[in-house]
Parts: sequence; structure tokens; C-alpha cells
Amino acid sequence: MSILDICQWIQDTNFGTSLRESIWMFPIVEGTHVLALSLSVGTLFWMDLRLAGVFMKDQPMSKVSSSVLPWTLVGFTIMTITGVMLFWCQAVKAYNSIFFKIKITLLILAALNAIAYHTTIYLKMKDWDTVWPPPARARFAGWFSIVVWIGIIVAGRTMAYNF
Amino acid sequence: MQALYPLFKWFDSSWIGETIRSSKYAFPVIEAIHLLGLTVLLGIMVMISMRLFGMILVYMPTRKLAKELAPYTTISIIVMLVTGFLLFASEALKCFDSPSFRFKMVSLFLALIFQLTIYRRATTSERVDKSPGYARMTAVLALVLWFAVGLGGRAIGFL
Repeated sequence: MSILDICQWIQDTNFGTSLRESIWMFPIVEGTHVLALSLSVGTLFWMDLRLAGVFMKDQPMSKVSSSVLPWTLVGFTIMTITGVMLFWCQAVKAYNSIFFKIKITLLILAALNAIAYHTTIYLKMKDWDTVWPPPARARFAGWFSIVVWIGIIVAGRTMAYNF
Repeated sequence: MQALYPLFKWFDSSWIGETIRSSKYAFPVIEAIHLLGLTVLLGIMVMISMRLFGMILVYMPTRKLAKELAPYTTISIIVMLVTGFLLFASEALKCFDSPSFRFKMVSLFLALIFQLTIYRRATTSERVDKSPGYARMTAVLALVLWFAVGLGGRAIGFL
């Protein structure tokens, strides 16, 4: 069974077919996926800018981080649920789309960046909590996240096209 | 509404509209920038509203947060208006028949007026951190208006 067969099977399930052919559910799921960008990337962005040394100069990093991140995670939970649903009902289209592959690759990069940050410099935050500008590795993690998330949003939107 | 038809037709056949339509990549690129603008603008609206209700960044005064975010708000609104106009010009006749587009334009008009007058004053006033009640009301209304704009925009693709 190839990956394409699996994708075909996923979208042929009852759930996939009924979602794809629904009049209201599909637009609602897609609309939620778009608008929840505000809570997911829309909040992460400001924490990244604090990390990058651009924004909220006089706020300690630990406070910004512990206050913003839980909401970002709420946003990403909504994004994941709606995103999986959208994939479920059009898995073959996604499989054939180069932009979907780009999006998944960038999502993995974003996750790796977050893991790298949280397992290294994040642990030593008390040394640079109020230091301005933040250390180079923190600034890198911030900018990297911003650039990758812009790429994810653009790739996601472009999935609607096949060039 | 029929009185506006010549105007829509003029935009549709304008140089800008023609150029964007004839390019394979122009529309998707402009659309992607429009979506990035949405992320920033709605993200700001969500952040300020949550701050007013004491759900996020409680150590930072609302007034300060709103002031620090103000330049980003302005830039994202400008980006949204410019890219939105370009997208509109490339399919003005489709928009003319779209109930979603009409809904979006009415919401946008209200959102912009409200944002630039009452909302901005309420969230940056000196009293906002002592008595946030009034600012909270304006924040909820601004959030509803801007999300209506976003919803209407997404719906243009469907009906």
C-alpha cells in the first residue's frame, strides 16, 4: 500500500466524503482555520518579536513567554484540529500538492526550532530575562520562527492552486 | 446597487485589474500577503482584547501595550487595504454579484471608522487601566467587526 493509496483511503472514509461534500461544514472548518491564525500565529508573533529583540523591550522574557504561550497553544490546538479535518477530506489533493509538502516541511522546521530553543537557551533564561538586546541565539530563534511561520501561512494559502 | 455597476465594470477592465488577471502568480502572491496582514491585524485585536480582560500580559499596562502595537496596527491596515483593493480590481465584476463582498465592505467601513475613532481613543486613554469597563466594550465590538470582515472575505470564495 503506497502513501497515495492511504491518502485515497482516508478521503474515501465516511467522514472525509461527508465533510468534502457538505455545504456548510467545509467552509466553516476552513473559515475557522483561517481566522484562528489570529490566536495561533497572531500571538506567537509577538513573543517571537520579544525574543528577536524588537518588541516589549522592558518586559521580562519569562513573563512574556509564560503569559503568551498558553494562548498560542490554544490557537495551535484549533489549527491542528481544523487542519487535520481539512487534510482528511482532501488527502489526495494534498498529496499531489507541492505546497502541502513545503508546508509540512516548514512545520517540522518550526517544531525543531521550538525544541532546540526550549532545550537550550530557554533553560538559562534567568541570565538574560531582562537583558537587552537578548542573546544572539534567542534572537535567532525568534527570527527563525517568524520567517518559517510566514512561509507556512503562504504555503497553506497557495495549496488552493496548482501551478 | 445597480447604480454602482459602471464603477465595478471600470475597475474590472482597468489596467490594474487586467494586469493582475493576466499574470498566473500575481493573484496568489497578493492573496498571501493579504492573509499575512490578517494574521497581524486580527492577532493585535485579540491580544489587546485579552489584555483588557486580564487574560494575557497582565504585568504590562493596557495603555502601553496598545501604544506599542499601534504602528503595527497602522501598517497591517494599510497592507490589507492596498492588497485588498488589488484583489478587488482583478475580479470586480465577480464581487459585484457577491453577497459576501457586500457584507465585507459594510463591515469594513464600520470597523475602520470605529477603530480610528472610538476604539483607538478608548484603548490608549489614561483611564484605561484604572477603569477598563468602557474599553472592554469597545474591544468586543471591534473584535466582532474585524472578524466579520475576515469571515466575509473568506466567504467571497464560496458565495
